[in-house]
Amino acid sequence: MSEKIYALLLRLFPPSFRETYREEALLLFRDRSRDEKGLSSRVRLWFDLLADLTISVPREYFYAEPELLAASGQRFGGKPSFYFMGDESPRPGALLLGGMLSLAALFTFSSLLSQGGRHRPRSSSARQLQRGAVPSASASKRPSRQATGDRKSQSDGENETLASTTGQSTIPASPFTPAKGKSPSDAILLHEPSLSGQPSSSGQRDTASPTLPSQGDAATTVATAVGHGNLDSAERQRVLDAAISNLKRHYVYPGVAEKIADTLLAQGKRGEYDAITDGDAFAHQLTKQMRDVSHDMHLELVYSQDPLPPQPTEQTAEGLARYRKAMKQENCTFERVEILPRNIGYLKLNLFPDRSVCEQTATTAMASLNRADALIVDLRDNRGGMPDMVALMASYLFDHPEYFYNPRENTTQESWTHSPVPGNKLADKPVYVLTSSRTFSGAEQFCYDLKMLKRITLVGETTGGGAHSGVWYRIDDHFGMGIPETKPINPYSTPDWEGTGVEPDVKVKPADALSTAVKLAQTKLQKK
Amino acid sequence: MPKRKLDPLPSAAFQILLSLAEEDLHGYGIMRQVAEQTDGRMRLGPGTLYSSIQSLLEEKFIEELDPREDVKQSEERRRYYRLTAAGRKLARSEADRLAGLLRVARSRKILRGDYV
Repeated sequence: MSEKIYALLLRLFPPSFRETYREEALLLFRDRSRDEKGLSSRVRLWFDLLADLTISVPREYFYAEPELLAASGQRFGGKPSFYFMGDESPRPGALLLGGMLSLAALFTFSSLLSQGGRHRPRSSSARQLQRGAVPSASASKRPSRQATGDRKSQSDGENETLASTTGQSTIPASPFTPAKGKSPSDAILLHEPSLSGQPSSSGQRDTASPTLPSQGDAATTVATAVGHGNLDSAERQRVLDAAISNLKRHYVYPGVAEKIADTLLAQGKRGEYDAITDGDAFAHQLTKQMRDVSHDMHLELVYSQDPLPPQPTEQTAEGLARYRKAMKQENCTFERVEILPRNIGYLKLNLFPDRSVCEQTATTAMASLNRADALIVDLRDNRGGMPDMVALMASYLFDHPEYFYNPRENTTQESWTHSPVPGNKLADKPVYVLTSSRTFSGAEQFCYDLKMLKRITLVGETTGGGAHSGVWYRIDDHFGMGIPETKPINPYSTPDWEGTGVEPDVKVKPADALSTAVKLAQTKLQKK
Repeated sequence: MPKRKLDPLPSAAFQILLSLAEEDLHGYGIMRQVAEQTDGRMRLGPGTLYSSIQSLLEEKFIEELDPREDVKQSEERRRYYRLTAAGRKLARSEADRLAGLLRVARSRKILRGDYV
């Protein structure tokens, strides 16, 4: 193996040198590897080899291609001159290798750039270990949205947070976001299937207990502040134990919770976490393992470099005001509301925002589309939102109340559409809903239920696949987790979209979805 | 292709000349001999080693032996090198130069001792 590596490294030398001495050099390498056993000797060997390469490769090129060094210095008449280094054109293999190296470098560079905001200098002063207080059970069940202080929630602390891909600057930052180097809006792109590090759990509507902070059962909270990234084994163990305890107590599938617990404990015993000293890496690792076992994208362990709020913060008037302002600037993410040729109504909605804030906007938008002969609802960029807004929007499509299944909530009176909507003429019009793989969460609920009710034609891509939502549990100052707690009964035989997404009726690329839907609508209207 | 410089004589090249003073050696043998005669301070990597050998060959200070007849079939064919008369002369003049330096160092009381 190491000899192969060295043989590859030898390719760095110019061909003339390689031809003459490659075999010899390999032989020497073999001799040394044979004679110098043991770790320190090996390390020394490689140190020698690498130092040797560093010095002698440029020197050999100087001998082989003196133009390399000379050319840069030469100018003719004040203009730089260019040289061909060799008489022959490069070998195809060399071109290929060069191309691949460039790509690798480009990739490395860009991924480093994208990591840029994620890492901050760590200060050990932030490390305050209050070991005496471990563990104290304190109430910390609350929606992540509250944890993030982003906004006020409905009185029952309900589902989903608000996302806006465009309102980043106006939506207040959450405690998670700085640590993640993500834009605030990411904090509310809930149920992101990737390991986004955000609390996937938004709050869960819990009809029995409107005020979340007072819920006494709640999570096992470890009152330990974990220093920035310098996890030691005790801290890792504490987080692990708390995570397992939370899972067993709250996860909707106790059997799966046991399995996850076994897996995590086994991994811990095998020492798989021993090397992880970075909180973020640890959280990612645990999240990945929980998801590997459960296939549940809403199970998540989150690390925040900045301390998480100690108690669920009450919604503030200020937070609500900021949310209102953001939504106002975004027109409640009703990005486009227009009538296309042939009287086809087109609505592009990028969120299902809080009904209490955006109901008026929604009503106005729907009113302006009311006389359309067909409706296209563009959810290709819709990341989800509040279930009551989902139900409100769906209300326009029926002339009688329909049960609107929400896999995150147990059935309540809110689970029905508010149909018929007075004055609404859209209830019997053909409706096309455009989807992409970015279509997520609440937007998928809209797609799934309407598809199950055979009310719409879905055009586009299979959606993202985030159905279940979790409840946020704070573990300590830096760790928290999202755990799905409920699993309402699905009235439909088709499983909900968790992990799989909603299949479109007409599968086309998202870019072609609108034109396809327009054509479908036109054909349909012609037949009339 | 420019000539590789051996003036002033790089210490690696000088060490190689010294290592070949008593016997013909192959590359790895030279490396070990050099390590031995410098108490392990100089471990020639392949690049430096063969680069120096190449320059010494070009200037005919050493020569490559014809492939040995007596090598066992199983053993890889190694190149052996031998010091030429010119190489021996070069090594001696370098040693003289260093000895001169030593004398100066000693006269400036930088180095004590009475040999050489």
